[in-house]
Amino acid sequence: MLFEYAIVGGILLGIFYALLSVGLNVVFGAQKIINLAHGDIIMLGGYAAWELYQTYNISPIISTVIVVPITVVLGYLLNRVIAPRLAKSSDPEMLSLILFFGLSEVIEALSSLVFGNAERSLPVTSIPTAPLKLFGQAYPADWWVSALVAIPLLAIFLLFLYRSSVGLQVRAVISDSVEAAVAGINARRISGLYFGIGFALAACAGVWGVFIFGGVSPTEGPAITVTAFAIIVFGSLGNPIGTLVAGIIFGIFYQLAQVYVPSWSNLVPYVLVIATMLTRPQGLFGRKQRIA
Amino acid sequence: MLEIKQMTSGYGPMQVLWDLDLKVNPNEVQVVLGANGAGKSTLLKVIVGILPLWSGLLELEGHDIAHMSVTARVKRGIGYMSEKGIFPELTVEENLRLGGLSKQKSETREQIDSVYQRFPELKERRGYVAGGLSGGQRKLVGIGRSLISQPKILLMDEPSSGLSPRYVSEVIERLAELRGQMTLVIAEQNISFLKIADTVSVIEGGRTRFEGTVADFTNDDNLKTAFFGIE
Repeated sequence: MLFEYAIVGGILLGIFYALLSVGLNVVFGAQKIINLAHGDIIMLGGYAAWELYQTYNISPIISTVIVVPITVVLGYLLNRVIAPRLAKSSDPEMLSLILFFGLSEVIEALSSLVFGNAERSLPVTSIPTAPLKLFGQAYPADWWVSALVAIPLLAIFLLFLYRSSVGLQVRAVISDSVEAAVAGINARRISGLYFGIGFALAACAGVWGVFIFGGVSPTEGPAITVTAFAIIVFGSLGNPIGTLVAGIIFGIFYQLAQVYVPSWSNLVPYVLVIATMLTRPQGLFGRKQRIA
Repeated sequence: MLEIKQMTSGYGPMQVLWDLDLKVNPNEVQVVLGANGAGKSTLLKVIVGILPLWSGLLELEGHDIAHMSVTARVKRGIGYMSEKGIFPELTVEENLRLGGLSKQKSETREQIDSVYQRFPELKERRGYVAGGLSGGQRKLVGIGRSLISQPKILLMDEPSSGLSPRYVSEVIERLAELRGQMTLVIAEQNISFLKIADTVSVIEGGRTRFEGTVADFTNDDNLKTAFFGIE
């Protein structure tokens, strides 16, 4: 019974972890950089949910929708500021790491000033509270509700990416931004939009992270970034579908570890990264290309 | 159609083009010959706007395009096919669709169908990821995408690069079908492309060494020695 519990719970949580990580992969795709402030954007999403509920009694489900346009615009504007500087840099990867490390620190410090250092949490009554009963086991409401919210969000994102004309342009820019520009695509605008979408997905995950992580605090960002990084490396950098599958696999492994070796469970992200690097550096969905 | 005078440019502080001149007439196929490092690719990148023009004149149909963005130049009618020429992660069909971004969906569909008629092997592989195709097929995808965008002038950077002689012949045959229908500038070091050229430019050390017809080129003993190895 414990095994079934770990598998079903892992899938539910894995869907949430897919949402948690896909934004990091999107930002990587948009700019070929690792957003070290990814966990902090998730944390801001959590604070947005907390503030909206405490002040206006807005349900986290509605907050998930509210944070999308705000974070898309924020991400887009941030991209327009940093992208030209990165383009001019002789070492854009290093510059981006420093920039986003700095941004992470600033967000953390500002969050401490605004919200205080104490962890904030939302009452479970802010979402449907009935646990999900499956195979004789009960799964907490926040697990299945967050999965239920994440599924349409991820589906909309994938439809946008693989079925729309703008999504095709996004994938062309991800593939080769110079080639995309000479194909007539406004690569900077498309890249900025995609970057913003990455932020929005992160913020949406943050709204539900308040429940899954038991609360939100200013210092939680870096640990979340590490988990998300492990998942996107496992699923292949730049491949959002890989991230979705990897998120679910991670969720299952994490839950299995929680059930059978709980004190070791926090090692799962690190083991995942090391194992991926040693056995399949291109990740689960990385493809080798034909040379000639 | 395209006029370049005293063009200078390069990468960062390194100057590659030195007062280069080039003139391309409408519906002409011009092959720009030069050895590795002569500046052929740099020249095309400056024309399309990937690299900045340091000084000199760059005009398309009498309009100064030197300060336009890449996107604006593409809208004005410049097409560019890089050595890679494709988006390897996208399917053949998706690569072709990118050629028709500025067109109505129905028009793009017609154009894609016409490319499939011209290159039936692409139709058979429409759902394949372009990066998995053979070198020759990849070039056809690049050419097909360029045809759909219907540029006034198409710049091609080493279409023979990475291809076996069999595929080079195939690409040349396909390009020959376009003669007289559009203006082509082909940067190459493979002299086989002279078969389809109206005019030739030879670049050496970032400078124009020769401009003229194919006949003029083949009659020049010095160039013969340099490119054909004939004493």
